[in-house]
Amino acid sequence: MNAKLILTSILLGSALNTAAFQSLESNYRTTGNGVVAAFEPQRQVLQTSSAVILDGRREIQYGVVVSPEGHILTKASELKEVKKLGVTVDGTQYKEVEILGTDEDWDVALLKVPAAGLIPVVYAPTSAVEQGTWVVANGATTRTKRRLLAGIISAKPREIPIAGGAAIGLQLETKGKQLEIKEVVEKSGAEEAGLKKGDLVISVDGKAISKIEEMAEALKGKKPGVIVKVIVSRAKKEMAFDVKLMARSQMVEEEVTRNDQMSGEYSARRSGFPRVLQHDIMLGSRRNIGGPLLDLDGRCLGMNIARVNRCENFTIPCEELKEIAARMIKEAAK
Amino acid sequence: MEGGVDWCGFVRRRGLQREQDPARVTLLIPMKLTFALPMVLLFGWISTASARPYVNDKKAPEDRKDLEVIQKSLTSVLPKARAATVCIDLGEGSGSGVIVSEDGLVLTAAHVSTGVGKELTVIMEDGKKLKAESLGLVADTDAAMVKILEKGPFPFVEIDRAESTKLGDWVFSLGHSGGFDKERGSVVRLGRLVRIANATFQSDCTLIGGDSGGPLFDLEGRLIGIHSRVGAQLQVNMHVPMKVYVENWDGMMKSEFIGEGPFAQKPVKGNGFLGLATEARDEGGLKVTKVGRESPAEEAGIKEGDVILKMNDVDLKTREQMQDLLKEMAAGDKLALELLRDGKKETINLKLGER
Repeated sequence: MNAKLILTSILLGSALNTAAFQSLESNYRTTGNGVVAAFEPQRQVLQTSSAVILDGRREIQYGVVVSPEGHILTKASELKEVKKLGVTVDGTQYKEVEILGTDEDWDVALLKVPAAGLIPVVYAPTSAVEQGTWVVANGATTRTKRRLLAGIISAKPREIPIAGGAAIGLQLETKGKQLEIKEVVEKSGAEEAGLKKGDLVISVDGKAISKIEEMAEALKGKKPGVIVKVIVSRAKKEMAFDVKLMARSQMVEEEVTRNDQMSGEYSARRSGFPRVLQHDIMLGSRRNIGGPLLDLDGRCLGMNIARVNRCENFTIPCEELKEIAARMIKEAAK
Repeated sequence: MEGGVDWCGFVRRRGLQREQDPARVTLLIPMKLTFALPMVLLFGWISTASARPYVNDKKAPEDRKDLEVIQKSLTSVLPKARAATVCIDLGEGSGSGVIVSEDGLVLTAAHVSTGVGKELTVIMEDGKKLKAESLGLVADTDAAMVKILEKGPFPFVEIDRAESTKLGDWVFSLGHSGGFDKERGSVVRLGRLVRIANATFQSDCTLIGGDSGGPLFDLEGRLIGIHSRVGAQLQVNMHVPMKVYVENWDGMMKSEFIGEGPFAQKPVKGNGFLGLATEARDEGGLKVTKVGRESPAEEAGIKEGDVILKMNDVDLKTREQMQDLLKEMAAGDKLALELLRDGKKETINLKLGER
């Protein structure tokens, strides 16, 4: 390319400076009604087999209908602050809602509404679909009509480890040849178990501890929820404590990154899942989580469990979801 | 993190507002005639005769068949597009890029490469790390080139030099969102081209930090844009069209710094830092009398007592001569010093630090 040609382009550029840009009307954008209309058969599945979870009159998230008798799965951690739990399926609103159980590993709650003849989701034969496969999820809703949003499977299925890992909740300091507890973190497992500032750590799970590195080694690879036996010396007396490890993010507020800032409302719990699918649906809000993820046949590929950020959402795969539903319903019946 | 922009990149130092409405130009037609031909010859562009999917010419997909055409087009070209998509690691952050030639030419964004002649690491989808260096960039439109320095052949994608993309076309983006993650791989997003302006494509493929410099493809798997920046709304995702690269191709290949900010800042002459004190010798050359602690000179292994005979092939006789040479250089510039140490000549290469 020579200088003459470059110059030409600059001149053309300024000559056309008044020309308008081209813009696609919002109706035909990926989330627009004109596009979404092509997914009407899948929307009808959302209409009957997804549930709207309510706090009073406010829609807080969605759920997956898993039995004709009114069993519904939804995201558990979002229910903590709910005052008046309600559920809508299709056009019917249920005000008597029971929480039958919670699965911490998957962040799933099993709800029960007094219904008969609901239409549960039909699970897809496999969640191992190609990247680029169309998927459909709940979008906004009215009192009577479910809406949808569409996107694609966008990354490899995988485990999502807990952000920041598991922590015991102790600040330690080397005192001579021993480790002294300098601070016990508030609301930590260590505080709950009764460990105190000034205690000298002797062992964790039977392993002698005298250095911070040894403590890190003893806790390495352990997941939140695991209980470790901590022996300390307090006023020259040996004492044993059972300490439950917690996710670091439960004790210390998660740092808000630049990517978080540009993402809008993301799920409070968005890590620590044994296995997830990932999709790119423009959910826009954490309130669009909890419902089923459908394929073009209207079959359930899984349950949306977290809006991670602007472009990433996690879904519990149908194989695991099926197992979770069966197990939780069975446990609740005991 | 003080900057105000939602760059798709990493940590930025300078402040810029979110994408201002660049209601400027739509300049599509003239370029096609002017530039398509020479470019084709330069890079052995092979035309693949895959047809434009008919769904692109519909206002919206109407039924399952239309949707399946989109899906089938995407899944058939995705593996090749993915293989050519890379993560660009700069140490202090990472962006994305895409390989466009067998010998490892990478297109990315100017705010990812940040300058000319910078050392970078390119990470392939399988995690393999490759040494690379930035070539030229266009600072006002956010275009840049990077060259992998290791031996190919590398997987690469075809560029849409004919500007055949139209408003409303279905497109997909790839990128290492939030940084490289081998378990996850690069992330694919599907959307439509929703706005075309002079130096910007807008799509509704959602982008995030780490995607910067990554590729936007049409459904035939041709590269049509490079991710640049986002707005507050999810639908506002900006890409630099291929047109900008084609127009500036030769200059970027020659490692030129084209245009003025805001996406990259020109190096400032005279702000380079070497960290040496010297005195002239009667027989020529400059004797090192002091090496600054943690200076580029110290890091390069220069020692007190070394004699600098040549700087970038210029014989040194006076201290002023060296100062004059350094005045013309900037932080990040390369320096080749020919030294006399213990009676033996050796050459040391280093980069100037920032004063």
